[in-house]
Amino acid sequence: MKKFIKYIFVMLAVLLPDFAARGAEAEPQSPAVAEADGAHSDEGKVNPKEIIFEHLGDAYGWEVPFDHHHRIPLPIIVKAKDGGFRCFMSSRIEHGEEYTDGGAVFTIAKFGSPHQGKVVEIVDGEEYRPLDISITKNVAALFITVVLVSLLMLWLARWHRKKGSKSPRKGLGAIETCVEFVYNGVVKATLKEDAPKFAPYLMTVFFFILGMNLLGLIVVFPGGANLTGNIAITLVLAVMTFFVTNIYGTKHYWKEIFWPDVPLWLKFPLPIMPVIEIFGMFTKPAALTVRLFANMMGGHMIVLVLTLLIFIFSAMNPVAGGLTTVVSVGFSIFMLLIDVLVSFIQAYVFTMLSTIFISLAREKGHEGHEEHAK
Amino acid sequence: MELFTPDFGLIFWMFVSFGVLFLVLWRYAWPIILKGLDQRADLIDKGVEYAQNAKLQLDNAKEEADKYLAQARRQQADMLREADKMKNQIIEEARTEAQKEAQKVMDQAKVSIAQQQKEAEQAFRDQVSDFALQIAEKVTKQNLADDKAQTRLVDSLLDEMESKN
Repeated sequence: MKKFIKYIFVMLAVLLPDFAARGAEAEPQSPAVAEADGAHSDEGKVNPKEIIFEHLGDAYGWEVPFDHHHRIPLPIIVKAKDGGFRCFMSSRIEHGEEYTDGGAVFTIAKFGSPHQGKVVEIVDGEEYRPLDISITKNVAALFITVVLVSLLMLWLARWHRKKGSKSPRKGLGAIETCVEFVYNGVVKATLKEDAPKFAPYLMTVFFFILGMNLLGLIVVFPGGANLTGNIAITLVLAVMTFFVTNIYGTKHYWKEIFWPDVPLWLKFPLPIMPVIEIFGMFTKPAALTVRLFANMMGGHMIVLVLTLLIFIFSAMNPVAGGLTTVVSVGFSIFMLLIDVLVSFIQAYVFTMLSTIFISLAREKGHEGHEEHAK
Repeated sequence: MELFTPDFGLIFWMFVSFGVLFLVLWRYAWPIILKGLDQRADLIDKGVEYAQNAKLQLDNAKEEADKYLAQARRQQADMLREADKMKNQIIEEARTEAQKEAQKVMDQAKVSIAQQQKEAEQAFRDQVSDFALQIAEKVTKQNLADDKAQTRLVDSLLDEMESKN
């Protein structure tokens, strides 16, 4: 970790002079803006909305710091209109060029098109949006998270296999503390005897979310993707919790939904309660989706807005810009630190709610208890 | 708004990634880690229990030691008293035995002394009678002499006997 921080400092030291020179010859525009506004906005004009949404959204390449002309190319995989899959690097169409592969012409949709910023196939002059399973920035970040989380957990597993009941120290100790915290504090405490059955799923969810959250806070390459602040990611996680909850639901759980213990008129001619309960089945994952998505996206957005404030005020008045810089940088650091906390809390909350939903679906009910009593 | 419309590609890859991560961790990590954690928790519980017992035993040990010490002292005193009693008894027994033995020896001595006395008396009597006979014989031999001679003779014989003795 120390080494890593050292690397960042070395990189900054090498790149800063270059920056200062560029800043001096061009307008008083900072590299962050240059990096942020990418290919879209024209010189000097700061378009906060565009910058923010570009940073929160997905991209076909991965930005590198201080250089908005080159990006780390990532493979684009699309199913063309003729039915065949095409695979090429994003660098081929990065700046709006057209790429032809086997008769199919691809480009990135221009500003103003309904598919703005996405890969489109040009068929007879019309933009056609192909089935797109490209390895975008978010997908690549997803893979990095998977590899990172697996390596960390396999490392911990190896320790347990080799050292038996000895307690790990330092980094591995911290990971194990998290594992123990989630397992004993959330999974075991809520699910009791069902814990071993659902622990693998819930723990995987926790560490996957935590990994994605924390990687999202790192500004440069292996991080920086706003993964958990993307609704697709949280949706998939919530849908999986929904499936686990309903597949392992007990008879009692289904009875509570379709024939709950309420006065007859609430459920017989008009199934008021069943409708509410069925609605409840779907609001649970929806709440999970939106909570994680909104929290993480909000954190990213605040930091972006604070940074952009510098450029908005600088455009008005250099003194105001200077003052805003100090305040904004201070607040950004504060917000990033808060986001580290939020990363953990949101992973925890998602896991805890999933656990509670599963435990509610696993309830045996009064019949079960009575049978036991007999 | 792009932010709120989930992208199919991302959903697809998210399923794949999560599936891979879940399978890897489910197969190779969680069982080992969770078992390890449970085992360690058990070990710690056992350790705590053991330590508590040990402390309890230690606390009891001092009490017990004191108890044993007191008991040992009592036993020692008892043994000493017993020994003293035995000593006195042995001495007493020895003394009576010795007295008995001495009495026996003395009795035997008395008996043998009495016997010797008797024997001596007998021997003396025999000798006296013997002497009387011899005197009578000599007297009879010189009966012709006068009374003076007879008296002289008896005197000389007596002197003779006396000197003999």
